[in-house]
Amino acid sequence: MYTIELFDVLTTAGVLYIVALGLLVVYGVLKIINLAHGAFLALGSYAAVIATWLGWNPWSALLIALAAGVTVGAVTEWRVLRGLYVRPLDTILATWGLNIIIVQSITLYFGREIQFAESAVTQAVRVGGVTYSLYRLILLLIAVVLGMLVWLVMRRTQMGLVAQAVIMNEELAQALGINTRFVRFATFCLGAGLASLAGALITPLVSVHPNLGVPWLINAFMLVLVAGVSLGHLALAALILGGAQVLVSSYSNSVLGSLTIVILAVIILRFRRITT
Amino acid sequence: MRKVYGIQVLLLVLATSIPAIAPVWSQEKKPVVIAIPVGLSGVNSVVAPAVVQSAELAADELNAKGGILGRPVKVVPLDDESGPAGAVKAFNTGIHQDKADVIITMETSAARNAGAPIAERAKVPFIYTSFYEGRACGEYLFVNAWVPEQVVPPLIKFMTDEKKVKRWFAVGSDYAFGRGMIEAAKKTIKDMGGTILGEEYQPLQQSDWTAIISKIRAANPDGIIYSTSGGGPNIDFLKQLKAAGLTMPIGSLSIDELTAEAGGNAAEGVYYTGDYFTGIDNPENKRFLDAMKKKFGADLKTPNALSEQEYDGLHAYAMAVEKAGATNSDAVIKVLPSVAFKGPRGSVQMNEQHHAPLPIYLAQVQADGKTKVLKDFGLIDPGDQCPKLK
Repeated sequence: MYTIELFDVLTTAGVLYIVALGLLVVYGVLKIINLAHGAFLALGSYAAVIATWLGWNPWSALLIALAAGVTVGAVTEWRVLRGLYVRPLDTILATWGLNIIIVQSITLYFGREIQFAESAVTQAVRVGGVTYSLYRLILLLIAVVLGMLVWLVMRRTQMGLVAQAVIMNEELAQALGINTRFVRFATFCLGAGLASLAGALITPLVSVHPNLGVPWLINAFMLVLVAGVSLGHLALAALILGGAQVLVSSYSNSVLGSLTIVILAVIILRFRRITT
Repeated sequence: MRKVYGIQVLLLVLATSIPAIAPVWSQEKKPVVIAIPVGLSGVNSVVAPAVVQSAELAADELNAKGGILGRPVKVVPLDDESGPAGAVKAFNTGIHQDKADVIITMETSAARNAGAPIAERAKVPFIYTSFYEGRACGEYLFVNAWVPEQVVPPLIKFMTDEKKVKRWFAVGSDYAFGRGMIEAAKKTIKDMGGTILGEEYQPLQQSDWTAIISKIRAANPDGIIYSTSGGGPNIDFLKQLKAAGLTMPIGSLSIDELTAEAGGNAAEGVYYTGDYFTGIDNPENKRFLDAMKKKFGADLKTPNALSEQEYDGLHAYAMAVEKAGATNSDAVIKVLPSVAFKGPRGSVQMNEQHHAPLPIYLAQVQADGKTKVLKDFGLIDPGDQCPKLK
């Protein structure tokens, strides 16, 4: 009876989680909100377009997107952000500027019109008595796998542990001889790569145009504000806020539903105890 | 005393030099200036270049025939930035600086609403070439594209009669045009004895249609009628609908040929109506498409349902001026409703209410995203748009 609603809630949470992951990683370690996140999403979607042009398997778009995101992220961190960490407010301006540069570069090359990208999976499957979009179910699985991978990297690798140390107390970490500069660099590359990957992953759901990242950026931003720096909290926030959005849209209407994430985020922020 | 003397000398110099310049002016005939305020930047920038190309081809054809009343035709594209503020600037520049004899253009409704009063005050004819929500009226304002009354009822009737759709689900983007089109569709559905199982609107910036698609599935209608904002949102909705495994007939009030093609197979099977498709099978359309290809080659922007009307607009204006024998605005607007231009869409003549009965066609998106014209409904009247005119 409620299978459809359950699937809608879970898969929406999965999509939100995928989209917000890169933003959270950057925010966690660098303490900056990457306003170019939406542009990195777009970059990933255009990777899917390029894969289609080259006639490659649609799944290869994920690798192209990851590579493109990491590359652009690396150059940005190296040339732009590195000098700005002492002025956190200026990073907002810098990443927003970067957003404009990436989006306009895409527009210059591809134009403003929508582009076609081949989807790997377009069919629906019958599960639990209902017909449901197979790709959304796959996305849910990918969200879980991605979440676990990032968690493993953070908890089980040298790199991750160092990053944790930087998150907890940067000055102390620096005093212990940790190369925080490299940690920041690697984290921004990872965050940008994850954002582009997310762009390639949502491409089968949406149309590809230069500003496709904008609506997703807003939701991802709200989720990260609520979740802080924890991966577990992000999953919870995606489930609660995304779920609420789906349920309000289902039982009331979509106009109200679209407000749900923002309103809930504000309420949660108002009543959350300050931890960090 | 010296000063006054100086001015007198200056006046003398000017007076003697004017006759020297004047013959140069009259040697070349003053061109007929056609201003095109169009969204070269902003949301309309996807379609604006095609509009300008349509105008350039029409101007070339007119000039090849010796211009209008023997005067050369000059088109002046101006950027209206796809919005009202830009339109005010573009209209003022076109009318006062470029001394436009006429404005012929496709714009957003907001831009048109801002520009039309300027043309009206300056008494410059304004031929609007974009389909729109209807009922924009002015003594100098003419429209040669469709209003909802012309495209919505044929589509609903076709789906009811041929596709046996009785129980409908209506979906729209939450903005004036989207809601207006759905209202028009609901009215026809009720007139045809159909029922509306559900009606849902999605905010413009939302690209995830999950909740609405689940509602459609729960309602299980015979068919879907939808109207999103133009371009991308059509593909967002159709891609997700297809992925969800919903296969009922779909009628679209917002898709266009270019969007359908960019969507690949996302829009496969979707029905829609309009006054212009590149696939219209008549000699005028073939000639138009060939001439466009020849003139612009690799730079050609595919002619479409928002750009072809510009071509018709220029030709209709030229016919009106020839008939009136002058570019004098009041003479031109008097004869404009009496000229018919047989162009790529078929024969189009605007009426006393400054709107045009139009040939309307039914089309369906094919598996490769290309649009196939299925049926010609013949001329369809726009109904009472501006009863106060005349």
